[in-house]
Amino acid sequence: MRIVFGHAAAAMAAAVATMASIAPAHAHLIGTRFGDFYAGAFHPITDLNDVLMWLALGLLAGSLPSERGRWLVVLFPLGLACGFVLSTSAGIAFGGAATNAVLIGMLGLALAAGTRIPAPLLGLIGFSLGVTRGIANAAAVEATTNLILFGAGLACAGYATITLLMALVTAFRRAEGGPATAWRGIALRALGGWIAAVGLMMIGFTYAGYGSA
Amino acid sequence: MSLSRLSPAASGFALALLIMLSGPALAHEQAGIAGGALTGFLHPLTGPDHMIAMVAVGIWGAQLGAPAIWVLPITFPIVMAAGGVLGILKLPLPFQEPVIALSALVLGAAVAIRLKLPFAFAAAVVAVFAIFHGYAHGAELPHAANPLAYGIGFVVATGLLHLCGISIGLLLRWPVGDRLIRGMGAAIALLGGYFLVRSLGGMA
Repeated sequence: MRIVFGHAAAAMAAAVATMASIAPAHAHLIGTRFGDFYAGAFHPITDLNDVLMWLALGLLAGSLPSERGRWLVVLFPLGLACGFVLSTSAGIAFGGAATNAVLIGMLGLALAAGTRIPAPLLGLIGFSLGVTRGIANAAAVEATTNLILFGAGLACAGYATITLLMALVTAFRRAEGGPATAWRGIALRALGGWIAAVGLMMIGFTYAGYGSA
Repeated sequence: MSLSRLSPAASGFALALLIMLSGPALAHEQAGIAGGALTGFLHPLTGPDHMIAMVAVGIWGAQLGAPAIWVLPITFPIVMAAGGVLGILKLPLPFQEPVIALSALVLGAAVAIRLKLPFAFAAAVVAVFAIFHGYAHGAELPHAANPLAYGIGFVVATGLLHLCGISIGLLLRWPVGDRLIRGMGAAIALLGGYFLVRSLGGMA
């Protein structure tokens, strides 16, 4: 009898301990400790300006010889981090719909024209673009946001995106082996024409008062 | 047979069929990023005069060969976007619809007779038409749509239509393909003529 009660008491204690240790289940990473890291990493996807500019920069750098674009792997995420720090610490704001449209148009035109941009200039473009996008993404920061995690997530996303895009384009171009595959370079430049066209239309939309996208 | 003679089961079946076939009535234009991209993407595809002219540009580029085959898909969207800016800013551009229809007629005829023009002249002809096509797209942006998403959708759809035309142009490798393409050019020219007459009738 005593043994039965002992087992029941143990089972009851285990049940109480189990129920006491129950924590809420988090379906989304935003509620976990590293939520702000993921918020920073995924925030650029929520803005079409980021998507287009990062894509255009990656395509442009990838279309050049790899030794010219190599420094972009470091400089673009560094620019993002610098822009983020400048905005969150000094309150610097930059850009707007017109600036974004001009940047998209210029990147697209450079790609469409097949411009052979020298490595220092490409690095400067990548860093400057990173700074402007870092400032733009810092607008999503709230009072409770962990700035270090958010900024680290943003910079890591920039690094991963640019590196992968450049690698993909380099591999795509490397397969060019004569007239039969010359369409690859043309396809890249046509994509640049599309991006430039979108930028040009955005300039029109901005001046017509349609507001930022 | 009048409807009143239908059995209750058949009436019920017909009613159920009608209910199933009905779609939702959309009182508002497509909004947001997804709506803007979809509206922009569908815009060049839902205007038959636009669509056939864009395909004809691609086919004619393929017929003309290098450098037209690669210069046209790169520069056409940019020139068209310049026309789009004129439309967005509501700057006056007369005879838009007749010129768009005329573009289908001229480009279709060029494909049909396999017209070989000097590249600069062919590019100028296409550029003039591109301005008018872009103008129509720019002027018809729905106010609820995200402008950037609309621009992306419309540029991608236009580029894909060119690509479709260039792909059709690959049939030129075979003699029967050449005849087929010239027949398609003639059909595009006829449709362009129809749209031209209709738009001139609308103006009269």
